Amino acid sequence: MFTTWSLATIVVAFGIMLSIPRVALAHAVLVSSQPAVNSTVSGTEVAVLLKYNSRVDMEHSTLTLLEPDGKVEKVAIESEPEPGVLSAKLTGLVKGAYVLRWQVLATDGHITRGKVPFQVE
Amino acid sequence: MIWFLRDIDLLSVLARAATLAFEALLLGGVAFLLAVVRPARASGTVEDLCRRGIRMAALAFVVGQLALITFSGAILMSGSDLTFKDVTTTGFFRADFFAILFAIGLWSCARFKSNKATVALFPLSLLLLAATVSTSHAAARIDHRVLLAILTAAHHLGTAVWIGAMAYLLISLGRVEDSNEARQLTQRYSRMALIGAATLVLAGVGMAWFYVGSWSGMYTTAYGIMLVAKIFLLLAMITLGAGNWFLVRRLACDPEPLLVRLRRVVEAEVCLGFLAVLTAASLTAQAPAIDVNAQDRLTSHEIYVRLHPETPRMSSPPLTALAAPSSLAEAVQDSQFVATVGSDDIDRAWSEYNHHWAGLIVLIAGLLALLSRYRTMRWARFWPLTFAGLAVFILLRADPENWPLGPRPFWQSFAAPDVLQHRVGALLIVVFAAFECAVQAGKLKARWASYVFPAMCALGAALLLTHEHSAKDVKESMLAELSHTPVALLGITAGCSRWLDLRLPRSRMASIASYLWPVCLALVGIVLLNYRELP
Repeated sequence: MFTTWSLATIVVAFGIMLSIPRVALAHAVLVSSQPAVNSTVSGTEVAVLLKYNSRVDMEHSTLTLLEPDGKVEKVAIESEPEPGVLSAKLTGLVKGAYVLRWQVLATDGHITRGKVPFQVE
Repeated sequence: MIWFLRDIDLLSVLARAATLAFEALLLGGVAFLLAVVRPARASGTVEDLCRRGIRMAALAFVVGQLALITFSGAILMSGSDLTFKDVTTTGFFRADFFAILFAIGLWSCARFKSNKATVALFPLSLLLLAATVSTSHAAARIDHRVLLAILTAAHHLGTAVWIGAMAYLLISLGRVEDSNEARQLTQRYSRMALIGAATLVLAGVGMAWFYVGSWSGMYTTAYGIMLVAKIFLLLAMITLGAGNWFLVRRLACDPEPLLVRLRRVVEAEVCLGFLAVLTAASLTAQAPAIDVNAQDRLTSHEIYVRLHPETPRMSSPPLTALAAPSSLAEAVQDSQFVATVGSDDIDRAWSEYNHHWAGLIVLIAGLLALLSRYRTMRWARFWPLTFAGLAVFILLRADPENWPLGPRPFWQSFAAPDVLQHRVGALLIVVFAAFECAVQAGKLKARWASYVFPAMCALGAALLLTHEHSAKDVKESMLAELSHTPVALLGITAGCSRWLDLRLPRSRMASIASYLWPVCLALVGIVLLNYRELP
């Protein structure tokens, strides 16, 4: 049997371990994006290129587009030109404010989310 | 519990922290059995205890991994059209699944005393290590992937051999009746821990070289600031460990009283060790400093502006002047995509006022605790009462958009992670204040009751160490961390020194500890009094 105090010490240690950790899951960082954050683009079609600081699992990552009328559309990820880079194409764009929301699964199992707001003129 | 389940991101990090700790305990148990207990031909009681510890750690690890898979899977599926079947095809699912299988293998082998089963523990441990490393930062690096994976494995191994195995030494020392056996176990562990600590430090330096990249990365990024906190905990452990090393050398002449001292110090060391593991878990949720853009790093000027001494703010802006709160559903939805809540100068002044009053309360508590050490100042022993005021203050003012000041209802507002953290913090403070007051007044005479303060102090500090501040940008979050991290580290030091103050037999070390914790409390107050969000 464990002695009471040894057990208590372990419990305290694990109580500390199980205390609420940092919330921000900030592993896969968006290093650069095309379109850039808060940029203005023109035309009905825009090529998307998202570059991350780590390798991402393309198959299990998702992109969604929040349109000016509030509608949310899923965007298909076309390819992974090099490790840590995702490419896609936005079509049928109209004038207004868009938000591209991304959710990526890094190959270390961390899931991160973010958004790229941009304007279409 | 519906409001709690919505904080799924938070649960995911929590499960990650737990699995890291249980991994250290599991592998540390195997190292202790194979390198300490068996070669020292320890008694059957100690070996059984060690095997039982390994089995418990393996089961806890399996539960942690299952929780991790569940929460990570839920995050992956939410907000996308991915199904559970898709989740099972991901790399992290496979790695976690294999880690579970290896842990079950370790559990099975630990049940049998045969040589074959004991030897099998070693390869199974290495396989489990490989599975966990494959879900570390190293696995996702674009450059130096293999080298970083090796360094990560060495870091995990060093942690297990030093910190994980220390828990088994502590338990064993509590059970052995023969002081010769205790001495042998301690000396063997001591040698193994030295190698473990050296491996941990060297691998850590190597990882810092790649993940931080420059000296400025240590204080201009959140990753660097957390790493400094981890180094502080490590240095505190090394200091205690060095004391133990000399103690172990003297065990041959007068073992009984020295063994008692050794056990007490090891208790504090185990606590610090697992806090360091917690900090490591927090680091896994941070982008490595080298990946942080120049515009997201703090400048020396920003650090100076935030940290130079100024008169505390003791008057609050009116509630009506604060930014109008959004709906709770909107806030929760938004928090999934941006870790930010807009704040203006009035909000910041509100927050500064909260921190400065909290600082004053803690400073008074620390000074009273220091005074209570003198016979003529016995009335000062009721210092914990001041903390009850702090808890009420946090509940009322920390989240003004929620009950009772704001429109968001009390129970539903738990869905916001920062609200949950503030309230857990307030609850911990109330529990601590009640216990410590009853202990100081002599109403609670049980020995265990006096340990609630150090435990809660360390727990609260750990909570703060991992506390994420909602801020408009990354820099705001880091600037807040510049003052919160020292507070957390002082809190941990206060908790551990109070623990030693209570547990150690009369000695110079106990005397130092008895003055150290009130001083740490007072210093926490001073740091909080200088907390600023406004330029």
